[in-house]
Amino acid sequence: MNIEVSELRKRFGQTQALDGMTFTVQPGQVTGFVGPNGAGKSTTMRVILGLDRPDTGTATVGGKAYHQLKNPFTRIGSMLDAAALQPGRSARNHLLWLAHSQGLPARRVDEVTDLVGLRQAIKKKAGGYSLGMRQRLGIAAAMLGDPPVIMLDEPFNGLDPEGIIWIRGFLRMLAGQDRAVLVSSHLMSELEDCADHLVVAGRGCAIADTSVAELIAAASGGWITLRTSARAEAMELLARAGAEVASTGPGVLTIKGLSAEQTVALLTRNGIGFSEVSAHRASLEAAYMELTRQFVEYQGAEYRAPAGETA
Amino acid sequence: MSAVLHAEWTKARTLASNGWLLAGVAVATCAVSILVAATTKCSAQSCGDPAKTSLSGVYLGQAAAVVLGVLMVSGEYANGMIHVTLAAMPRRLPVLAAKAIVLSGMMLAAAAIAVIVCELAGLPLLAHDGYGQLPAGAEVRAACGTVGYLMLIGLLSLGIATAVRDPGVAVGIVLALLFLFPVFAHFTDTTWQRHLEQIAPMTAGLAIQDTVDLASQPIGPWAGLGVLAAWSAGAMLLGGAVLRYRDA
Amino acid sequence: MIAALRAEWTKFRTVRSWLFCLLLIPLLTVLLSYFTTANSDCGNGPYPGQPVTLACSQPIGPGGEAVEDQFYFVHQTLTGNGTLTARLTGLSSAALQPWAKAGIIVKQSMTPGSAYAAMLGTGARGVRFQYNYTGDTAGPSSAHWLRLVRSGDTITGYDSADGAHWVRIGSVVLPGLPGTVQAGLFAASPQPSSTGAVQAGHMPTVTGTFTDVTVTGGHAGSWAGTGVGAVGPLRSAGDSYQQAGGTFAVTGQGDIAPAVAPQAAITPIGQTLTGAFAGLIAAIVLGTLFMTSEYRRGLIQLTLAANPSRHRVLAAKALVTGAVTFVAALAGVAIALPLGKHILHKNGNFFGPISMATELRVAIGTAAVFALAAVLALAIGTIARNSATAVMTVIVVVVLPYLLAVASPVLPTTAADWLLRLTPSAGFSIQQTFQQYPQVASAYTPWNGYFPLAPWAGFTILCAWALGALALAAFLLNRRDA
Repeated sequence: MNIEVSELRKRFGQTQALDGMTFTVQPGQVTGFVGPNGAGKSTTMRVILGLDRPDTGTATVGGKAYHQLKNPFTRIGSMLDAAALQPGRSARNHLLWLAHSQGLPARRVDEVTDLVGLRQAIKKKAGGYSLGMRQRLGIAAAMLGDPPVIMLDEPFNGLDPEGIIWIRGFLRMLAGQDRAVLVSSHLMSELEDCADHLVVAGRGCAIADTSVAELIAAASGGWITLRTSARAEAMELLARAGAEVASTGPGVLTIKGLSAEQTVALLTRNGIGFSEVSAHRASLEAAYMELTRQFVEYQGAEYRAPAGETA
Repeated sequence: MSAVLHAEWTKARTLASNGWLLAGVAVATCAVSILVAATTKCSAQSCGDPAKTSLSGVYLGQAAAVVLGVLMVSGEYANGMIHVTLAAMPRRLPVLAAKAIVLSGMMLAAAAIAVIVCELAGLPLLAHDGYGQLPAGAEVRAACGTVGYLMLIGLLSLGIATAVRDPGVAVGIVLALLFLFPVFAHFTDTTWQRHLEQIAPMTAGLAIQDTVDLASQPIGPWAGLGVLAAWSAGAMLLGGAVLRYRDA
Repeated sequence: MIAALRAEWTKFRTVRSWLFCLLLIPLLTVLLSYFTTANSDCGNGPYPGQPVTLACSQPIGPGGEAVEDQFYFVHQTLTGNGTLTARLTGLSSAALQPWAKAGIIVKQSMTPGSAYAAMLGTGARGVRFQYNYTGDTAGPSSAHWLRLVRSGDTITGYDSADGAHWVRIGSVVLPGLPGTVQAGLFAASPQPSSTGAVQAGHMPTVTGTFTDVTVTGGHAGSWAGTGVGAVGPLRSAGDSYQQAGGTFAVTGQGDIAPAVAPQAAITPIGQTLTGAFAGLIAAIVLGTLFMTSEYRRGLIQLTLAANPSRHRVLAAKALVTGAVTFVAALAGVAIALPLGKHILHKNGNFFGPISMATELRVAIGTAAVFALAAVLALAIGTIARNSATAVMTVIVVVVLPYLLAVASPVLPTTAADWLLRLTPSAGFSIQQTFQQYPQVASAYTPWNGYFPLAPWAGFTILCAWALGALALAAFLLNRRDA
């Protein structure tokens, strides 16, 4: 089972919300769906769920349009907005009607309740839930049908660090069970150590569809930093091996053209001491910022204090 | 479809406000009916219609029915839960149909209780005040028709609310449809008055309560209820079309 | 407070759907008022069941009000000062009305609506001194000798049990009374107050029998019988008088009294504004949403963070809501009222003389009813925090009582009257231009355009509701967590 999004286009009045959005979500990995606000992430998810109709293009789950799915929650579990609850109903009854809608037994409600750790609060009215509890309730709803595909919109929003760690682990676990997981976020750091694959959205289309490793490597540019007291010898040796070497500080060399493994092997073989060899690794955040800079919809001006308030 | 129905029924019965509104329909209908029956006297010239008088609380009871019908769907739009509903049940028309069936069932139950209480308490009071006995058939028709009337008002509200989504606006539109026609009819000439009373959802629908002087009424009992049914069906069609073709 | 007002005003004017809703207020008011006025005609309008079309105009009395002036008059001219005396020996009728009249009268001319003063006996209301249609003074009921004395512009009424000892009942100055007036005997019997029962040609008549008729002063000496005014299509045959020596029998129909609906087909001026009810529902929805939308997405928290004085926020919201609905409604009323008057007039309707002040009161008062209803809706919205319940509640307390009391025959009149005394619907009294007169028996029901409360009294009830709800809203807003 996978999600396939192909050439989605949608216009709301003056705004082109989706402009050729295309990507695939594969099973067995967590796919992060990132991009600045207004890039079209939520709209894409709404189209996948059949809530919005695209002007052109298709979105399918396991090869079928969403509305063709029988008991869709058994194919794809989803959470768009954790606050979308009727406050007067207890959390358990919220899950119960959803279970009934999919022809699932009430037993599933208790199972997913335990899965997300809401057992104590499940009889309470959903209106009294904190944001974190609502996120857990939303995830419980998504897990009701034990679906092979899970899609969550901004599940990290408003969570405390503990909650973020919990969701990361939970998503890893789902991917480990060979499910396809699509998680949107506008903060790359939230997906660090969690996503295997990334779809980066900008102005309504996917500007990158790549594995996390490739993205980081591309942004890192293959630089290596070497710290050694025998600077001159090292420079000469490495240059002879075909690398570009530059001295960037006292006892610090920057090397391009050799991998860290090759560098270590070469230095060891020639008896040149060193205190550190490290591959320059761009942070995921930096890589992402670089990629999306031109796509940010709203850019803040430099802050100036209002006139008259500068005492 | 049965899963959809089951889900909508679970949804309806687990929201406490629905119970309060149903109780509101029943209590408002009974209380006003009995109060009016207890205070109405036959005037020197004529008696009113005993069936109409004993069921007059429906004028107030229907207001709670309108809120119930509107909130069945607008309540979900107000907090975004409609997205969860449509994600769980992507075929939208069956969702609306299931809501209509659940609403109808709840309304029928509440209205039946209300009407039985009204008739048991109200008709003896009226007989005491000199109202004549009605033929049993007419009385049963008025009573059952009133139950149907409340159900149709619920469906009218459900349809309008599905089309306009906002609960406040939906209640405003439905109550305007119900209450404004008779006001306009009162102030127009006899021809228009008759026409307006024939097409107005409330006036025509409540013709089902007429048991005396049928010939001089603007519309017959069943035809009148039919007019209301047409309004409700129209509203449901409109709501269905909007639900089906508009982004959620 | 100014800052709070400006904030709320900005909040209001920047939501496009609210501006649209606001625009609906005058639009619906004008269009639907146009629809109802264009499709109403006189005599059928508010009086269904009326068997025939009534004459849709009335003479105007000296006081400027519409009057009934139809009776049978046995008269002669009286020049200068003089005295008219007669003994009323009996009133008889097939259906004696309580306010059937027979007696002596001094009248400016034969023209309907002209000034008069009369001493008369009634079917069940004793002997009275009446003048210029609205003046009415009761005398001792046992005395049946009647006398009118003219002295200059002043006419004084007396009665007596024996024709010897006279008691003064009252006197009236009729300014500009000509030297020569008409004086004589009359009889008039009004329609029964349950007017629907009268069939054409079956208007009841009354016969007054007189003896000892004497006139002093410059009089013509010979009697003539004339039917004054047109009794209209209900008129029955039989207006006449017979004289046998000193005994007169005068048979007549009609009434000398202020004109009241439904006997007279007078259209209430409020009928030009029926479309206002649609506009009113728009105003109620608007007032409710202005508050409940704050609760919908938690905006209220930001509002109260920006201005922690909750009373002030509520007051600012109420002022903005009241002001915008008032202006919108006034715009609608300012078009609908003159337009409706023009159309209704063209359709043959008769409003009676309405002063500019009354018309302004109706127009401005109606717009104020909109404003108060919107404020009431805002307050109920604050209390309920749920727009569906709030809109329903306000429409049920503002519009439904009016519908049940005025436009629907379901409720008995007492119940209808109480609804219009107690509920916010009482505010519609501000549109009332009809007056009730104790000396005219009529069905003074809401159905016929008579509100149980005076215009400003009813308006005050609505004010009390709006302010009371606002006070409760302020209390709850302060006490509850936002």
